[in-house]
Amino acid sequence: MIDPYYLQQLTIGISLGMVYALMAIGFTLIFGVLNVVNFAHGEVYTIGAFAGIMAIAAFGPPFLVIVFIVLAVGALAGFGLERLAFRPFRRFSDEASLKSRAMREATLMSSLAMSIIAREAMELLFGSEFQTIDISYLINKPIELGPVTIVNGDIIIFVVSVLMLGGLQWLLKYSSIGLSIRAVSNNPLGAKYVGINTDRTIVLTFVIGSMMGALAGILVGLYYGAVFPSMGFIPGVKAFVAMVMGGLSSIPGAVIAALVLGVAESMSTTFVSSVWADMVAYLFLIVTLVFFPQGLFGARRERV
Amino acid sequence: MSKDFIQSAGLKLVILAVLFVALPLLLVSLDKGYIYQVVMLALIFSLLAVSLQLVTGIAGLLHLGHAAFYGVGAYIAALAGADYGIGFTLGLPLAGLGAAAIAFVVALPTMRLVSIYFAVATLGIGQMIFLVLQNWVEVTKGPNGVSLFSGIDLFGYTVDSELGIYFVVATIVCISIWVIHRLSHSYYGNALRSLREDDQCADAMGINTVRLKIESFMISSFFAGIAGALWAYTTGYISPVDFDFAESILILAMVVVGGLGSIPGAIIGALLLILLPEALRGVGDMRNIIVGFVLFFSILFLPKGLFGEVPALNFIRRQMGAAWQDNPDKQKVGWK
Repeated sequence: MIDPYYLQQLTIGISLGMVYALMAIGFTLIFGVLNVVNFAHGEVYTIGAFAGIMAIAAFGPPFLVIVFIVLAVGALAGFGLERLAFRPFRRFSDEASLKSRAMREATLMSSLAMSIIAREAMELLFGSEFQTIDISYLINKPIELGPVTIVNGDIIIFVVSVLMLGGLQWLLKYSSIGLSIRAVSNNPLGAKYVGINTDRTIVLTFVIGSMMGALAGILVGLYYGAVFPSMGFIPGVKAFVAMVMGGLSSIPGAVIAALVLGVAESMSTTFVSSVWADMVAYLFLIVTLVFFPQGLFGARRERV
Repeated sequence: MSKDFIQSAGLKLVILAVLFVALPLLLVSLDKGYIYQVVMLALIFSLLAVSLQLVTGIAGLLHLGHAAFYGVGAYIAALAGADYGIGFTLGLPLAGLGAAAIAFVVALPTMRLVSIYFAVATLGIGQMIFLVLQNWVEVTKGPNGVSLFSGIDLFGYTVDSELGIYFVVATIVCISIWVIHRLSHSYYGNALRSLREDDQCADAMGINTVRLKIESFMISSFFAGIAGALWAYTTGYISPVDFDFAESILILAMVVVGGLGSIPGAIIGALLLILLPEALRGVGDMRNIIVGFVLFFSILFLPKGLFGEVPALNFIRRQMGAAWQDNPDKQKVGWK
């Protein structure tokens, strides 16, 4: 019989992993269509959490309404982000400049600048400390399951994440939007030649990816009851690690890697003090980059 | 003394006169501790920006963890001073060498990576070093930080007045920047530039790319460590928060705003991003948001930076590189 303690850690790890997966998918989608890293993804997560708690403070809607408000705000944030930090640098649409290093680094730094501006603006508006949240909205009510105690947040995070991931898979496989996203990420120039509106597709990808990121933000905010302006940085880095481990372009790979990362992190607190838990993610990152530069699930790609 | 020599020495003399005569006079006449802090911060960040320029601007390796090596230097100097009684004379080179040693260990596995993968690996490594500084309480004293009360000892003579510390910092920053300037404006620097343009091509032409990358990374970290030691001795108190990701981004922003590949640009960027937020201090603590806006607008409107690489190279050839002038005694081609 397995010690209930490990089962306990496993459920926490799966919840964590699901949240990383939601964020990692945003990264993966955007990396897929543009071949650039979106450093402001962590701030979308924070914006989602803040939108959620502001909605709660303003009129206290039911949980499902909060989810939809957060999704809408996330969509708006993704749209704005693409307009401000990515569109201005996509001046040329030929293959060489789409893949050029100057373009990648310019967008990397412009998204970094956007993330600083967003985080600091939130800090000026709300202060850098934890925000107060209505206790009745927190999703940490304990549920006894035999020897294991989980909280309702674990179930909510799991269900919401699975729904979102399933919905995304359906969208990518069976809808025309998904088809155009897959086409652009496969070959942007070819997609343009066959009449796909690539700019619109890129905006839609940002919108979908940011909706997932924002949702992850409010779920974690209500799970831990901790919402503050710099909350997005560390989950952003971890989601990025999951994306790299998953092989950059593979969505199932990113989800599996995110789950592995979440479980490894919560299990590691058994052996070391919890302040070192973040180290696990960075070690995974370095080990993956050095030994499996293709990622664990990715196809072969150009040199890393 | 030929006319060329005077012409080429002119700018150097002006810079030295400003740094060692005019600025100290101004500081003494104002006599405010706060102004000293700002000026020394600007000097230290100039060195940090120039050292990052070597690896990011000139060798083309996007480095997102520079502040961690700065932190390693600061911690080595402060802990050596506070716990082991090792003074400034020995602590300063120790800080630089310690940072360079860690850079070597880090560089061995990561130098095979290119572009964004390298950037993310350095981000991860920077965060790992930050976590160690923050959580290895037995050695680094954790979030409480380290206090360093001793003044700067120079060969048995202790400097503890603000003006004295200013002179020490200014001298070391000048020498360090001069070393990086000579390195980057030489055949060695040209080899580093070839890595940036196309490292596979450079490799095919017989340049040992991995070795050059590791070397430039180590040199850059060495000077970051020196800057860290100077910072530890000027403030007398350091804590892990001084060396987090935001500081790495601040240094990177200085390099990008000044112009990638341009040493004078890095200094201009550092002065701008240190002095502008200080000048606007009355409005509130806006330092980071100003950094964000300056970074964003400079990428958008001035992708080559305030003082881009090409004008900077021309400027340095004219003002600093006597070898380039039409002088019969000297070689006409190439950097000396």
